[in-house]
Amino acid sequence: MAVAVEKATTPAAQPDEARRPDARPDIPPPPSLGRSVRYVGPVQNVDMNQSPHPMNQRGELGKALFNYQHNTVSKDPLTRVSAPNHFNDKRNFIATVVNQASKGTVNPKRVPVDDPEAMTRHIKAVAHYMGADFVTIAKAHPNMMYAGNRYVQDGTAADQYEQDTPADLVRKFPYLIVATTAWDYDKLQAHRHHIGDAAYHVSQIKGNMLLKSLEGYIRELGYTALRGVANPQAAGIAGGMGELGRNGLVINEKFGARIHMPDPIMTDLPLVPGKPADIGVPDFCTICHKCAVTCPTNSITFFDRVPGEAPKVERDASGFGVYNGVEKFKINWLTCYKLRPYVHEHWSSCLTCAVICPFTKPNTWWRTMTVQALHYCPIPARPLLVRTLKAIDDRFWGVVRQKRVRWMGYDSGIKPGEQACTVAGCTADHEAGHSTSVDSEIGYYAPLKENTNRFVKRGS
Amino acid sequence: MRLGPLTLPWRRNPHANDPYWEHFVNTPFHDLANSVPELLRNAPEGVVFPAKAELHTPAITSDHLKQLATYLGACMTGIARLEPQPVDEGGPYPYAVLCAVTADYDPRTAPGLGGQVPVQNALFVTFVLSAWMRELGYRATAVEDPDAVNLAVKAGMGRRTADGRLETAKYGTGVHIEKIIRTDLPLAADG
Repeated sequence: MAVAVEKATTPAAQPDEARRPDARPDIPPPPSLGRSVRYVGPVQNVDMNQSPHPMNQRGELGKALFNYQHNTVSKDPLTRVSAPNHFNDKRNFIATVVNQASKGTVNPKRVPVDDPEAMTRHIKAVAHYMGADFVTIAKAHPNMMYAGNRYVQDGTAADQYEQDTPADLVRKFPYLIVATTAWDYDKLQAHRHHIGDAAYHVSQIKGNMLLKSLEGYIRELGYTALRGVANPQAAGIAGGMGELGRNGLVINEKFGARIHMPDPIMTDLPLVPGKPADIGVPDFCTICHKCAVTCPTNSITFFDRVPGEAPKVERDASGFGVYNGVEKFKINWLTCYKLRPYVHEHWSSCLTCAVICPFTKPNTWWRTMTVQALHYCPIPARPLLVRTLKAIDDRFWGVVRQKRVRWMGYDSGIKPGEQACTVAGCTADHEAGHSTSVDSEIGYYAPLKENTNRFVKRGS
Repeated sequence: MRLGPLTLPWRRNPHANDPYWEHFVNTPFHDLANSVPELLRNAPEGVVFPAKAELHTPAITSDHLKQLATYLGACMTGIARLEPQPVDEGGPYPYAVLCAVTADYDPRTAPGLGGQVPVQNALFVTFVLSAWMRELGYRATAVEDPDAVNLAVKAGMGRRTADGRLETAKYGTGVHIEKIIRTDLPLAADG
């Protein structure tokens, strides 16, 4: 089985031929992923053991990151119960309980599916009923599959299909269900803060639970459900979850970049796959650059996408180009990841590129109207519309997001490193004392960008 | 559609045309290992964090606890003082936290996953909330209590109906309490 880590490659000379991922005639050409991502060459299935978290588990990313991920108990009680790997007792972290549970058996009394469209509507309704915010179905393709063992961070993935090749799995289980939860918009404004962490991690553990439940329900219907087998971004984009942005995140029509891309469910339940979305993300990302400007570690490329030109890959392995046969924006995940040990007292998930993205807004009528305008605008006219929308975004939401957020006694108006109680009416005896001096509506988020240029320096 | 206290007469069942919805709500699990509600019901509890967190006043702590419960998915949260106080090897529990979630179906009569979704949601809230209280350094345990509805009434969440369900002003009987959280976290009781 071919195993690969993502590396920059040049586009294949003959795209039509390259659409055949291997020599087997029974494998269909790869699906369209819309305008933000294209398959342009042979794709080697990526071994998830070579992805960031498993590499860190083996200590290959340095002592600081290893100790942060595996030996650091968070000082924040809410982080200890909602974020992976920073708990005091893993039994207080619900994802441990959910992920380590043994799998149930497939119901031998299979529910017949005469109308796959009705079943598709049903599965989406069930997922929404259990708390999902957006659900899509994709037709599985070997290009979307992982190589090697299943990617399950806890528990066991052993089953009778474990040794099947990606092509065999796709033939047996042709559909991928991607169900996701969105991060709370108001809390997310406190990016690089424990409040933002709560937006991210609580929706993540809620998503873990609902996907486990949906997986069990599919088995109860009499069909197989596999996890840890496919790339969620590829499946999500193929099914219409959104388009891939400059920040490396899937940008959704309702929630922008504030959605998780959790492990999809692969199944043989008869369903009808969706189509890739077109909400103008590539047009926006070519002009916007806001995520690249505000990224505290300079991990997001400034290079623009120029169709037909040779790929542009920076020395730090980010840019817009062809990576393992896929043309897309790619961030430098290593510098993004390496910041965390130095800021863990303030936050555990950065989120700045998601917050600053102009698509990340409350799910309101005016947002829907704007996304629809981008969708229906002819492509040649989109740059003009995008420049107008970006100017509005800069004017009303700011070039850098510094909103003060208060929730449950947390207050991003307190500068990093300082401690004070700013809860109105609190008369408790606090060691750090009470503060009435925080009267502006500015939020403070660590670290400042100028202090992190050592991770990747731009302009040299 | 709900307009304040009014339910508009043209509200339709959104699942009326779904041929599989009845199966989702009413068909029992053939294998309980496929049931997340069952999984959460039997989940073990972690230890209490060795250092106590610095708290605000009991009233403010109660308010923060309710904010977190709401964020986790509870539609109503109440705090009742326990009398007599149950005691285990760690000492007495002076308070009970009641977290209600919305329930379109009565989990006692709808054994399918759809009917058990309120149980799943309620157990998610009580699991994370009780874990957070333990991480604050205080004892908290989520337990099934046949007296839960009476405690909710005591906390001012609503009244008890003839068939033993909780009826609230906002949600009627469309609420469900699965487990209560007993704790010694200093709180301000409602009701």
